[in-house]
Amino acid sequence: MKRYVIIFALTCFIAFLNGCDKGITPEPEALPKEAGFGGSIIFKGNWPQGVTRTHIVAFRTPLLSSKDFNILNLAFVSDSIPYGTRQIVYSSLINPIVPIKNGDYAYLAVAQSKTPALSLERKDWYIIGVYYINNDTTKPGTLNIPENTFIPDINITCDFNDPPSQPPF
Amino acid sequence: MKYLIIILITVSLKSSFAQNGIIYGTVTDYQGNPLVGANIILGNTGFGASTNEKGIYQIVSIPNGTYEISVSMIGYKKLVRSDVRINDNPVKVDFKLEEMSIQSKQVVVTASKYEQQITELPVSASVINSNELSERNVSSLDYALRYAPGIMMNLDQVSIRGSSGYSRGAGTRVLVAIDGIPIYSGDTGEIIWEIIPVTEIDRVEIIKGAASSLYGSTAIGGVINVITRNISNKAFTYLRGSYGIYDKPSYSVWDWSGQRRPFNIFTLTHTNKIGRFGFTLSFSRNENSGYRQDDYFKRFLGYIKANFDFTDNSSLTFLANSMNQTRGNFVYWKDSQHVLQPRDADQGQRVISGRYMFGLIYRNKFNSALSYNLRTSYYYTGWRDETSSKDTSKAGLLRGELQVNYKSNDNLLLISGIETSFGKVRSNLFSNPKSFASGIYLQGEYKFNFPLTLTLGGRYDYSKRETLNGESSVSPKFGINYKLTSSTIIRASAGRGFRAPTLAETFTSTTAAGIKIKSNPALKAESNLSLEAGINQSFGNLFNLDLAMFQNEYYDFIEPEVDTKDGQVFFGNVTRARIQGIETGLNISLIPEVLTFHSDYTYLWARDIEKHEPLKYRPRHLLYSGLSYTISPLELGLDFRTWSKIERLDNELVDLGLVKDGDKRVAVYVLDINASYSLIDLGLPGRIIANINNALNYNYIEIIGNLSPIRNYSVSLEFTF
Repeated sequence: MKRYVIIFALTCFIAFLNGCDKGITPEPEALPKEAGFGGSIIFKGNWPQGVTRTHIVAFRTPLLSSKDFNILNLAFVSDSIPYGTRQIVYSSLINPIVPIKNGDYAYLAVAQSKTPALSLERKDWYIIGVYYINNDTTKPGTLNIPENTFIPDINITCDFNDPPSQPPF
Repeated sequence: MKYLIIILITVSLKSSFAQNGIIYGTVTDYQGNPLVGANIILGNTGFGASTNEKGIYQIVSIPNGTYEISVSMIGYKKLVRSDVRINDNPVKVDFKLEEMSIQSKQVVVTASKYEQQITELPVSASVINSNELSERNVSSLDYALRYAPGIMMNLDQVSIRGSSGYSRGAGTRVLVAIDGIPIYSGDTGEIIWEIIPVTEIDRVEIIKGAASSLYGSTAIGGVINVITRNISNKAFTYLRGSYGIYDKPSYSVWDWSGQRRPFNIFTLTHTNKIGRFGFTLSFSRNENSGYRQDDYFKRFLGYIKANFDFTDNSSLTFLANSMNQTRGNFVYWKDSQHVLQPRDADQGQRVISGRYMFGLIYRNKFNSALSYNLRTSYYYTGWRDETSSKDTSKAGLLRGELQVNYKSNDNLLLISGIETSFGKVRSNLFSNPKSFASGIYLQGEYKFNFPLTLTLGGRYDYSKRETLNGESSVSPKFGINYKLTSSTIIRASAGRGFRAPTLAETFTSTTAAGIKIKSNPALKAESNLSLEAGINQSFGNLFNLDLAMFQNEYYDFIEPEVDTKDGQVFFGNVTRARIQGIETGLNISLIPEVLTFHSDYTYLWARDIEKHEPLKYRPRHLLYSGLSYTISPLELGLDFRTWSKIERLDNELVDLGLVKDGDKRVAVYVLDINASYSLIDLGLPGRIIANINNALNYNYIEIIGNLSPIRNYSVSLEFTF
C-alpha cells in the first residue's frame, strides 16, 4: 500500500512538473517589417523665436546646390516636432508626412521653417541638425535602409548655439 | 578446590570484561566548536551520556553488539548513526551536528542593537540560517532573500513588504549591514550583494518596517543584517566546490548559444584561534557563463575576520571584504523572440568593478550594567563601463558609530549612540560631490512583570549633499510586546522612517539608451509612517502561526519620472504612496525533526494615492512555501514561490519603443528542489548537495525586459576538516 502511495505521489509530482504552463512565451514570428528608421533627437540651447514648423527630412542625393532641394529629391518628411521640445524619440513609421521606402539616403537632417504657410523653397528652411556617422561632423552620414528593415539608433543632436553647415541656398 | 574457584572467578571476570565495550568521541558543530550538553543515546538500551565542556562523551560497560546511536541537542538537527559495532576495543565515534532553525528560540541582534529572542520583538522579523544558504547553493545573498517571507527581489533591488520598486540601482529603502556595519555604496547608495561572503554567514536577520529610529536613513523599509560566523575555537578548514549548468530554454527560438551554459563556485576557508587571537580567511571564485548573452560574470571574493580578546569583556574585531568582478551588461532583451539576447545597441557591453570594505569593531563590557561598542568602516566602490558611454565612478564612504547600552536594572535597558559618515565621489555620471550625515539616537526598553515590554525611542539625523542645504529628520518609534500566554504573543509598533536621497539620485547627468537623465538639486528626503500589529501563536516546536497587519504611509516618495517640458528623466519627490497589507507565516512540524512545512503569504495593496494607480513592481499576492524532509544522512527540500502578476512596470519604456514586448509579464510559479547527503557515515567529513532551481522551467520577469534564470542544475561538495 505504502509503495502505491509513493508511486502515486511521484506520478502526480511529475505530472505537475510537466503540466504547468511555461509563463512568458515568444510572440509569433513577426511579419516582414516595414522599412524605416528611428532614434532620438536632442535639442540644445534655446529655440529661436518664430519657428512655425520643425521636421526630420531625408534626401536621396547630396544637397550640392539649391536645386537639389526639391520635391523629387525629398524622400521623407516627418510629422512636425512641437516647438520647445528638448528631446524626442521618433520613428519614421509614425505619422510621416512623406513616408520613406528602402534605399540609400545621402542627407538626413532636422530642418526648421518660419513661414506661416508650408513652403518648399530652399530659402525658407534652416538646417539645425544633421545625421552623422560615428560623430564625424565633416560630412553628412548616409542612411541605408534595406528592404523590410527598420534601422534604429539614428540619433541627431540639434545645437541652436552651434548649428551645422548649411547646404547651398 | 581453591584453584578451581580462582579459575572460575578469573574466567567469569574475563568473560564479563569481554562482553562490555566503550564508545567515546566528540560532538561539535559544523565549524568544529564543541557542543556542551548534547545527548547521546544508544538505541533502546537505556545507555547514554552527555557531552562535557569540551564536547567529549563516553559511555562504558556496553554489552557487545551492533547499535544505533542518536545524538540530539536543542537548536541542532538530530543525528542518527546505525550499525555501530561495539566490541572489546574502545570505539571512537565523532559527530558533527547541523544547526536547526527554531524560530521561537531564535536570538536576533538587529531589532534593538542587542541580543534578544525573536519572540520579544515589537516588530516582525525573520531569520535565514547558514544551512538554508548552503542547501540552496546560493552564490549571492540576494538569491537567498527570494525565499524570505514578505521580501521581493526586483533583480538586485530588495523590497520588504513592497517598500521598493526598481530604479536601476539608485538608492535602496532597505538598510543592509554586515555585523551591523551598513554596506550601501557611497555614490548610488545601492547594495552590492556579491561582496557578502555567503559561506561565512551565520544567519541573516530581517527586520520589517521602518527602523530609522535606530538606523537612520535608508532603513525606511526595514533592515537586513548579515551576522558572520564566530571564529572557531580550534583550527578548521572548509572547502566547497559547485558545478552547474543551465538547461536549454523552453523555446528553440530562444536558444541563442546552442549550449547548456555552465557555472561554478569554489570556496576555501580556514579559521583558527591562537590564545586570545582568532582569525578566519576565506577566498572564493565564482564564474558564470550566463544563461543570457552578455550576462556572464567572473568574480573573486576575499574575506578576513580577525578578533583579539583583550579580556573576557573587551575585544577588537577586524573585518575586510573584497570583490573584483568582470561582467557583461545585459540591459533589456531584444524582443520576445530573443528574450535571452540584449538589444543590438547594447551588445558587447561589460562592466569592471572592485569593491572593498574594511571594518573595525571594538566591544567593551564595563560591568553587567554598562557596555559600549565602536564600529568604524570604510567602503570603497569603483567601477567602469566598457560601453559607448564609458561611464565610471569611484566612491568612498567613511563611517563611525559609538553605541552605549545601559541596563539600570532587570527591567530597563537604554540603547544610545551617535553615528557619522562622510562620502566622496569622483564620476563622470554624478560629477564629484561629497556627502555628510550624522545621527544621534536613544531607545529605552522597559519590561513590566505582566509580562509586557515597552519600547520608546527616537533618532535625530542631519544630512548634507555637496553644497545643497542640509536636511534634518526626527524618527520616533513606539513598540509593545505582550505575552498573553506562554504561547501567545501580541506585538504592535509605530515609527517614522526617512531616507535621504543618494548622490546618484541627486546629481546623475547622462544619456543612456537614448534617454537623457538630468540632475535634480531640489530633491529632498522621503519619509514614511510605519504601523504594524501582529500576533504569534505556537504549540511547542510543532506549530507556529504568525499574523501581521501593516500600513506604510510614504511622503515625498522618490521615483524616476519624465519632465514633460523637456522629455528628460530625473528623480523627483513625485508622490504620496500608501502600502497596506497582511502577512501570515505558518510553520508546522508534521513529523518532529523529520518532516516540516512552512507557508508564508503576503497581501500587498501598494498605491500611488495622488494618481490613484498601483505602484510599480508590487504584486498583490505573494506566497512562499517549503517542505523539508530529513532522515539522516539524507535531507530533501522543496521551495515553491508564487506571486501574482505585477500591475505596473516601466510602461514608458514600452511606449517609447525602447523595450520591445516589454509589457510581457505573468503570474510567477517557481519550484526549487534540493537534496543533501551527509558523507560522515562513509568516513568523509562532508556532504554532497544537489539542486534543481526553477524546476518547472517557468519563464517570468522580475523587472521589465529581463527573463529570470531558467531551469538550472548543480552539484556541490563540501568538506570540513
